[in-house]
Order: sequence, then C-alpha cells, then structure tokens
Amino acid sequence: MHVKLSSPLLSYLQNMTQVNVLPSLPDLHASALAGQAAMPLESADRLKLLDDPAEWAAFSLPEKDRAGHWSSSVVFEGMHCAACAITLEDALRAVPGVESVQISSASHRGRVVWSPEQTRPSEWMQSVERFGYKAVPANDAHAHEHRRQEARRMVWRLSVAAMCMMQVMMYATPAYVSAPGDISAESMHLLRWASWVLSLPVMLFSCAPFFGSAWRDLRERQVSMDLPVALGMVVTFVVSSLGTFEPAGPFGAEVYFDSLTMFVFFLLMGRWLELRLRDRTAGALEAVLNRLPDSIRKRLPDGTWERISIRRLAVGDVIEVLPGEAFAGDGRVLSGQTQVDEALLTGESLPLTRKAGDRVIAGSHNLSATLEVQIEQVGAATRYAQIVALMESASVSKPSMALLVDRWAKPFLISVLLASFASAIYWWPTDPAHALMVAVAVLIVTCPCALSLATPAAMLATAGALARSGVLVRRLEALQNLAGIDTLIFDKTGTLTRDAFEVAQIHTRSGVSPQQALTWASTLARHSWHPVSRALWAEARRQAELGGDLPALDAMLARNVNEEAGQGMRGDLDMPCGVKLSLRLGSAVFCKAPTFNGHHLQVSLADDAGWLATFELAEELRPEAPGVVAELKKMGLTLKVLSGDGPAAVAQVAQSVGIPDARGGCNPQDKLQALKQWQAQGHRVAMVGDGLNDGPVLAGADVSFALGQAVPLAQSKADFVLMGGQLGVLISTVTRSRQTLRIVKQNLAWAAVYNAACVPLALMGFLPAWAAGLGMALSSLLVVLNALRLAQGLTPTPLHNLDLIHPATLTAS
Amino acid sequence: MDILYLLIPLSVALVFFILAGLWWAIHRGQFEDIEAEGERILRND
Repeated sequence: MHVKLSSPLLSYLQNMTQVNVLPSLPDLHASALAGQAAMPLESADRLKLLDDPAEWAAFSLPEKDRAGHWSSSVVFEGMHCAACAITLEDALRAVPGVESVQISSASHRGRVVWSPEQTRPSEWMQSVERFGYKAVPANDAHAHEHRRQEARRMVWRLSVAAMCMMQVMMYATPAYVSAPGDISAESMHLLRWASWVLSLPVMLFSCAPFFGSAWRDLRERQVSMDLPVALGMVVTFVVSSLGTFEPAGPFGAEVYFDSLTMFVFFLLMGRWLELRLRDRTAGALEAVLNRLPDSIRKRLPDGTWERISIRRLAVGDVIEVLPGEAFAGDGRVLSGQTQVDEALLTGESLPLTRKAGDRVIAGSHNLSATLEVQIEQVGAATRYAQIVALMESASVSKPSMALLVDRWAKPFLISVLLASFASAIYWWPTDPAHALMVAVAVLIVTCPCALSLATPAAMLATAGALARSGVLVRRLEALQNLAGIDTLIFDKTGTLTRDAFEVAQIHTRSGVSPQQALTWASTLARHSWHPVSRALWAEARRQAELGGDLPALDAMLARNVNEEAGQGMRGDLDMPCGVKLSLRLGSAVFCKAPTFNGHHLQVSLADDAGWLATFELAEELRPEAPGVVAELKKMGLTLKVLSGDGPAAVAQVAQSVGIPDARGGCNPQDKLQALKQWQAQGHRVAMVGDGLNDGPVLAGADVSFALGQAVPLAQSKADFVLMGGQLGVLISTVTRSRQTLRIVKQNLAWAAVYNAACVPLALMGFLPAWAAGLGMALSSLLVVLNALRLAQGLTPTPLHNLDLIHPATLTAS
Repeated sequence: MDILYLLIPLSVALVFFILAGLWWAIHRGQFEDIEAEGERILRND
C-alpha cells in the first residue's frame, strides 16, 4: 500500500476501500524493530490479558468446521507490503496449535485458526512481535464478519444471475434471428424448456431479497421500490411459464425468460455496487471507532506498572504510552516529549509536538517517544467519543430535500402501480400477453430509487470528505443552507485572531532604544507564563536572533524576581558595565508611566529613575486570515465583523484582514438584532464564532461555524465544527457545499427526466422489460457515481496573500 | 437435429456445473482479496 509520509492517516483514509484497520504509521516499523529487545517482557504482560477465555469472544468466533478451534480476527500493525504478509504467515504457521492463517496485505487484517488445547492467543501473538510486527485483536470481528458474509452472498446471487442470464440469452437468440417456421416446434419447445429450468434458480435464489422485502412491505402495508419490482418479476415468470407449458393458453406461446434474467442481473449489479459503497462509508466510521488501544500500562500507587484492559481505565490514572500507540483517554502529559498525530481528530496533518503539561486527546497517535500521561477524561467524556457520536448522528439525519422526495415517493409508487394496471387493462383486448408485458415494463422502469438516493448520497459523500479534513458536519441540512449564503459574519475574538499577543509598538524615554527596553523587559518577562510576558519574551528572542546575539540575551539573568499579583513583576538586573538596574514591569500605575492613547493593551517598564518604556500589544492575527478573507470575497460573499470587543480594536483587526464593515462593542443581544436585521433584508447569513459565547447568535444564523480546538463538542450548537482551528478550511467547506448542491440538483433533475421520459414510453408499449431493467439500474448507478465525485478529499486552498501580515513594527516616540 | 435433444440438456447441466465451481470459489473467499494471488510470486516456497 502506498503511504504518503506527510500525513499517513489521511492517505490511509483515502485508501479506505479495502482498509478498515489501525493505521500503519510510517515509523512504526522502525520503532517496533528498535524496541524489539525490550519487548518480550513488556508485551507478554499485555498479551496475557487475552488468554482469558472470556476475552476471546470479543475478537474470535468458534470455528464451525473444526470443533474446539477458534478463528480469530486480527489486525497487524507495521505491515507494508505483500512480503510482510508472507513473513507473518510463516511465523504464525510455525507456532504449534495454529491450524491456518490468512493475511490480506491490502487490509492488514488476518484470520488465525487455532486450537485452545495447544496454544493461547498470547503465544502466537508473541511470535508475530518477535518479527517486529504487532498483532492487535480486531474487536469489531462480528460486524466485520457479518459484512463479509453479506458481501459473499451478494456476489453469489449476482454470479448465479449472470451465468443463467448468459445461457438463457443463448437459448433466446435462435428465436430472434430465425425466420418464422425455420425452427421446428419441438426444438423451440426444447429451448423454452431449457430457459425455464435456468430461470428457476434466478427466481428462487437470486431474487429472494426482492421477494423478501416486497412481502414485508405487504404485511406492513408499506410501499417501497421492491414491491413493483417483485410484482413485475412474478408476472413475467408466470406468463413465460404458461407460454412454455401451455402454448395454446390465453397468453400465447411467447416467453420472456431472457428479459427476466437480464433485468434481475442488472438490478442485482446495482444493489451490489450500492452495498460496496455503503461498506466504504461504514469502513471510514469503523476506522475512527477502532482507534483506541485495548489495553494500557497503568502506574500503581507503589510506582510499578501493570497492564490493564481499557475498560478498567479511570480518571486520574497515570498511564505510559509507547511510540506507535494511541492515547486511550484525554489527558495531560506528565513527563516526556513527543510528536503526536491528530490528523483524524483535528484535520491537522503535520505531527504536533507535545511536552509535559500539554494536553493529548484520545484516539490520536503517539509518534516518537514514550510518555507518561495523566488521564483526565475517559470513555464517552472524551473529545474522541464526542466526535464519533457526532459523526454517527449526522450520518442518520435527513436533509429537507430528501424528506421532500421521500414524501413524494409513496404516492408516486402507488400511481405507478395504478398506471401499470390501467395499461394492462387497456392492452388486454388486443393481446393479453403483450398487455401483461407492458404492465411489467411500467412497473420496472420507474425508478424512485434514483430520486430518493439523489440527496443523501451526495451529502453523505461530502460529509465524509469534510470529516477527513477536520470539518464535522452536525446536520446534513446545513450543507444545503451553506450553499445559499451571501453574508459571512466573523466574531472577532478567537476567529480572526489567535489567543496570543504580539508587540505592536514600543514607546520609550528619550535616550533608551526600543531594542534595549525590550531586552530589559524580557529578562523579567521570561520568568512568567502570563500571555503578555510570553509575547515580550518571544519578541525579544526574535529580535536577538535577527541581530545574532541570542546567547547574550539568554545569558542576561535578572535576580530577585518576584511577581506582584495583579500589578506586575520586579527584579534586579546587573549590567555588564557594573550598574545595577532595579526594574519593574507591569501596569502603568505600577510603573508610574504616562498613558498613551491607543486601543491596544499596554504594559510598561520602569527603573528607579522612573518610566522607561511602554509596550503596546496587539492580538496576533491568524496568519491565514487575510488570505482567507480575500478568497471568500472572491467567492461573492459579503464579510462583516460583529464583536464584543472595543470598537477601535475591532476596526483595527477588521482593517488589517481587509473587512470594511466592522462593528464593535456588541453584546449578544446587539449581535442577534443585527443578524435579524440582515436576514430581514433578505440576506442568508453564516456566522463564524468560537461556538461557545455566541450561542443565541449561532442558533439565529442560517448556518453557523464553530472554530477552535477548545470547543467542547457536546455543547457546541454550530452546524459545522472546524476542529483544527484553521480558517482556511472555511473556503473549501463553502466551495464543497456549493458543489454538493449542484450535484444534488443534477441528480434530482436526472431522476425526474428519466422517469418522465421512460414511463410514457413503457405505457405505450415501446419498452421491452430488459431495457426497462437496464434503464432503472443505470439511473440509480448514475446518481450514486455522480455523488461519489464529492467523496474525494479536499484540496487545501492555496493562499497567496500570506505576506500581508505585518511583522511587529518598532517605533520610538 | 436430434442431437439438440442431447446438447441442450447438456448445456443446462454445464451451467449448473460451472455454478458449482463458482460457488466453491466464492465461498473460499477467492474474490475477497484479489491482490493476494498476484503477490504470490514474492513467496519463498
């Protein structure tokens, strides 16, 4: 399998067709090999848990053919190619008690049949680990097995229909090509008889699902597509059988076995493709569900480590996470520094650094080093579980367009049944057999499937593609609304800016250079974690790095530093020339500084002689904000800013990203009022907020986005959640929603035109049953394939305006 | 054309025979991992 190194999880998801297993991280192979020496003791612990027969049922089934044997479903980690599969199979077969092994290198899955009398799961799993791979029990064994069985049955039904169809076609050909009288009555009868024999398995076996659901519909007094289809099949078969065995009967000697089998084949083909499509979506969801490890190493009170099952993990536990493992719960890093992969959860495709004190999220992968993590959330409380729940709930929600179509499907089907009945009555006096075949063609050719598939297929495909880029869709309906918006409102805090500050301007006492003031301030600031201090320290370091005297800055240490809560900091600094400076850094009052007119946050520096400098700090713009704004304008959207911050600050931010219309000082009521006003003027408004403070406004907007990693998903009421906190995906989400609506419209138009054209043709008797079957299968297939175009991943929109961001400017006053 | 009385039933039987082969192939999972056979060339044995 081809794995792109930059974002293994994303590319892995794109290969979802066959894969529904844990990802193969690029460095897993290496780390597994590197850790091999230390492994036996460590993994033995983990694997011993699986030797409990109570755990077997989670990933194994008793083997049907061989009593006393178990067949286990296993996912292999660290596999890259076919050669890996062969090595693994050989390794497993060498274990006494392992009866048979089948490993698929495409899906990284395997089945191991083993006898509990001779071996235990831990034994054969260890043999896998000795070769540098890792075997993980596949806990979804039953669901997976079920899907496999279903797919097998489907292929088998399809094969029977295909074989019989081909042969029946052969028997039908002579009747088509010969002139009347060429074939003797006996030969003709023989051919019909043979066709009848081969149509039997098609009717009795291949069509069983149609009859099954038609029967269910009848019992529950429902109407679905299967009812007219099954009716059509039965009528065709009965008419043809009478033609075969009673040529002198009312329906004549005509037979339609070829039409019947061909129709069944096309229909099954369509169903089979649909099934594969569904498995693909199920597979994508399963990949997310399968990401938690099944056992973890937990620290006991006496400091030793014990391996426990994930079900026993509790809040407050300290666990050890090895490279290549997934985090079992949300937590905080206690010690160690590593890179993590959060691609599936936040859409961030690059590895992120996590060190002591940082948060890690369940379901993300530890890539490079061993960590100790204190668990803060487990199970349903984790961000991961919320994402899974959201994905599940969104995938079953129905957009209004689909509901509309569903409402019309039933009367449509009933009128089709009536129309076919009417056509049969109309044609009956001329030719009873022809009358029935016309009725059958009408029954078969109508395709409300295409109509009812049109909307959900396209929207689900889009939701899947968006989820892979870190955009969660809460309601499919929102995709439809988003395509129609013309106004986009930003809530400034947290959407256009980051939480961090940057130094915008420095005012100094005459005789002091801004650089000097910054350096002095930074010697105090480096001792504090206050965002302001961190901004000063970062700026000082940046400047020193530019000037090439970073070591000098690092060497400057203030003494006696202490922080006065709510005021500022003080400390002494020894200058190289021998002078001692006693510095104060903090509010203007604390430093007895003059006030400057401005809308920025100000922090001052003073020494014993009084005021030295004042730093103006601006909220740092998101680097991508100006580019995104320009791009959105190009797409024809009106952009506005509505914020609760001071009007001057709001105007300044809005101006620097290029939004002319900005309103500051709004409370939530003001925002809602403004929103209602715009909506009253006929605008369709989307709101981008942080998803928390703007609850009523988000709910009032036509479409709402929540941005940022800090959003508790369960509380967020937004329609879309941008999990990575990247504004850039806003563009692709809007673009994709417009594409989606376009494709939905294409699909609906196609389905409508198809039905409008074919039903009258069938009523007039121009359409043979086989052509009706082909048309119906093709029209559903076309709709699904058209929707599939939306399933491909989003391309990150290139931003050209990145150089619009101004570096902090330094001016002396 | 009496041979038809043999050939046509024979062709019907042939279809059932082929179907039996297909049944065997499908239920042994031969269509589930199409790539495996191609990869067999990499095997040592």
